[in-house]
Amino acid sequence: MKKTTYFLTTLSISAMLFMSSCSKDSDCHECHIAYMNSAQEEVEVEIGEFCGSELEDVEAPGYTHTIEETIIGLDTVPAGTYSDIHCEEHAHD
Amino acid sequence: MKKLFFLSLIVMNVFTIYSQTKGVIFDDNNLPINQVNIYLSDQNILLYSNEKGEFISESDIPNNSYINFYKNGYSTKVIRYVSNMSLDIILNKLHISLDEVGISRSYNKLGNSMLTSVEKKSVSDIFSYSTSMIESISHASGVDVISSGTGIQKLVVRGLSGMRVVTYLNGMKIENQQWANDHGIGFTDLGLYEIELIKGSSALQYGGEAIGGVLYFKDNPFVISKSISGYLNSKFNNSNFLFSNQFGLKWSINNLYINLYGQYSLASDYRLPNNSYLFNSRYRNTAIKFSIAKRKKNQQNIFRYQYNGDEIGIPAHTHKDLNNVNIDDITNSNIDLIDDYKVTRPTQFIDNHLLVYENNYFFNNSKLSFHFGHFINNLKEFEKWTIPAFDMQLSNSQLRTSLRTHYNSFTLNFGAIAGVMKNKNSISERLIPDATNNEMGFYSTIDFEKKKIGFNTGLRIDFKHINSNEQNYDNSFLALSSSAGMYFNPENYILKLIYSGSFRSPHFSELFSNGMHHGTNRYEIGNAKLKLEKGHQIDLKYQWSNQHFGLVVNPFTHNILDFISINPTDSLFQNSYKIFKYSQYKEVNFSGIEMNFHFHPHSLHNLHFEQSYSFIKTKNLDNNQALALTPSNKIKTGVKLNFEENNLGFKFKSFAIFHLYSLKQKNVVVNEEETDAYNVIDLALNLELYNRISMVLGLNNLLNEIYVPHLSRVKDVGGGIPNPGRSFSVNINYKF
Repeated sequence: MKKTTYFLTTLSISAMLFMSSCSKDSDCHECHIAYMNSAQEEVEVEIGEFCGSELEDVEAPGYTHTIEETIIGLDTVPAGTYSDIHCEEHAHD
Repeated sequence: MKKLFFLSLIVMNVFTIYSQTKGVIFDDNNLPINQVNIYLSDQNILLYSNEKGEFISESDIPNNSYINFYKNGYSTKVIRYVSNMSLDIILNKLHISLDEVGISRSYNKLGNSMLTSVEKKSVSDIFSYSTSMIESISHASGVDVISSGTGIQKLVVRGLSGMRVVTYLNGMKIENQQWANDHGIGFTDLGLYEIELIKGSSALQYGGEAIGGVLYFKDNPFVISKSISGYLNSKFNNSNFLFSNQFGLKWSINNLYINLYGQYSLASDYRLPNNSYLFNSRYRNTAIKFSIAKRKKNQQNIFRYQYNGDEIGIPAHTHKDLNNVNIDDITNSNIDLIDDYKVTRPTQFIDNHLLVYENNYFFNNSKLSFHFGHFINNLKEFEKWTIPAFDMQLSNSQLRTSLRTHYNSFTLNFGAIAGVMKNKNSISERLIPDATNNEMGFYSTIDFEKKKIGFNTGLRIDFKHINSNEQNYDNSFLALSSSAGMYFNPENYILKLIYSGSFRSPHFSELFSNGMHHGTNRYEIGNAKLKLEKGHQIDLKYQWSNQHFGLVVNPFTHNILDFISINPTDSLFQNSYKIFKYSQYKEVNFSGIEMNFHFHPHSLHNLHFEQSYSFIKTKNLDNNQALALTPSNKIKTGVKLNFEENNLGFKFKSFAIFHLYSLKQKNVVVNEEETDAYNVIDLALNLELYNRISMVLGLNNLLNEIYVPHLSRVKDVGGGIPNPGRSFSVNINYKF
């Protein structure tokens, strides 16, 4: 009985340590310009995936991204330079 | 040298053998009672009686130590031990147990239960029986929860929370940026034994600043067990696919006691009643806790360390006006069990470390205690992946000494507290600046009890100095708190009347905030001109019980002068986020009534029916409106059927139903949404699978009710984000 107890305790502690250590998250993320249209609704314009130091640059204060040509679609986003850039995820559907 | 060493060991053992304290416990038919809990509360040691009703303490129990005797189904007894007194204890068999509604007398860290309105709740089995410790504690009348999803929860006492409800863990004040509704309690139920709660400000020993109340969490006591005893606990909940595991180990030898605990929990996004999932309501928790105690004849040293690490997603994040958010934009229609456990953004990363050293020395009629605690809270809030929005370390050191002495029918307590709290930012972005708070306090209380009456009175003086070079702020506050209470206790009822008056100085956050707070989706601005907040509460409590019925009626009124509040302005930050500013109201009032019933029908000895009513009304006397975030009135009902005493041959231990009815909340301020009434029903079935393995099966929100609590932080987003829908949980416990 004692052996079983020690085995189960060791197993439990090991499982917890394992679970704690296997939680590395990816460091590449899709970023987008958050453009507010005239109805004050946010329109997301994807600007690509960024990793590591590039991601740090995109998220740093003062970073800007230029849209060369006006995007015409369901929501029109005019050409110009934008600083409101986000890389956090949103709900996936 | 070796001989001397072995001789010393023999002498120590002989001393130990001869200094034992023994006792025996009988019921009213003079039959011994097995497995009675004998809790030496001053030593924090738990003993159990054997089949003959006998118990033995390894060393002599010091004079005037309090001993609690309790077992489910029997009356609770508290004695003040005097050397060589007979410990032949008789516990009367009871049909009902009324500890949780405060009728039974008990010894408490927060004071004498007869003279202060202390309520207690056992939390030692809460991991198995409840989806969350905070929700389980909120089953008490007058207690509510502020939540941001299932990962961030904190307690509200009679409508007050945050800085006004002071939390203590093993004697140490927990300072974890609790000013914000999106900052949780900072620890889990791991290794916890009991919570004591005072509603209002009458806990002078711990209560400087505690205008709204004190929550005192205690760890499991040490046990006498020469072989290692412990447990393994696993829990699964299909609402958020929560996997949570705990272990606990206890061991003692020659008056040396060791407890060790660990926990790891992982949860994904929770499911709403419409089967969608609230994005980023996920969380992870890692916790470890270690305690060691050495007991000698007249003194005891205890050292504790615990770590709690949280990674908590902040749900309902948006850059739009909260009222214009479509709920579909912040929920998912399905769950991806690979991606939706992963930490995303925005997220809080919280690391809490607690160190406690405690020394108790007993002499003549007195107990002298010395307590040192150090708490470190590191809070990082990320909206971006690589750059935190803020990264603050709040450290709090506290030194406390107290003397309790007895003289005839009087018990006198004296104490002094000194503390240093520092807030330090690790990055240039900041919501609250670097600041320091030095404090010192002194208190004295006198209790008098004789036969059927008792009274107490106390005074506390606190001096606080707050300094922030960044803000060019240097100010001191001097506050005087007081309380007075009396009780009358004839045959079967108790009548208590308690007055308490307390003061609270403004916190760093209230004085200096200036920045975007992503956790609450708003820009917050402090007010360096804030003054002391002053509270005056009158609490009347009537408690009556017979063998089958218990009743508590508890009206109260609480006036707070110079009430500090944070309110929205008409301005926006970055055209998106509302700007909120701190200000003070001249006078506000919280009043209400709490009632508890406990009924046990004579014909069904195993059936327990409990119901509590909490009615609260708030009023801002400056404008005759209600205050924001006033809890809705609630009726909470619990029915429990125990199978233990039946000889049915089943392995069922108990079946419980809990019902919450929350009334519509119409008392709101301008710009605050009303919330609808709702019913929530939870079921729990407790089974014993094998001798040491038990299981609890839970069914939560049986009716799949779509409900938004009035204190939910996400009640204004997308028309109100509901709490979790119907879910089941499985909890397995193995004790060894």
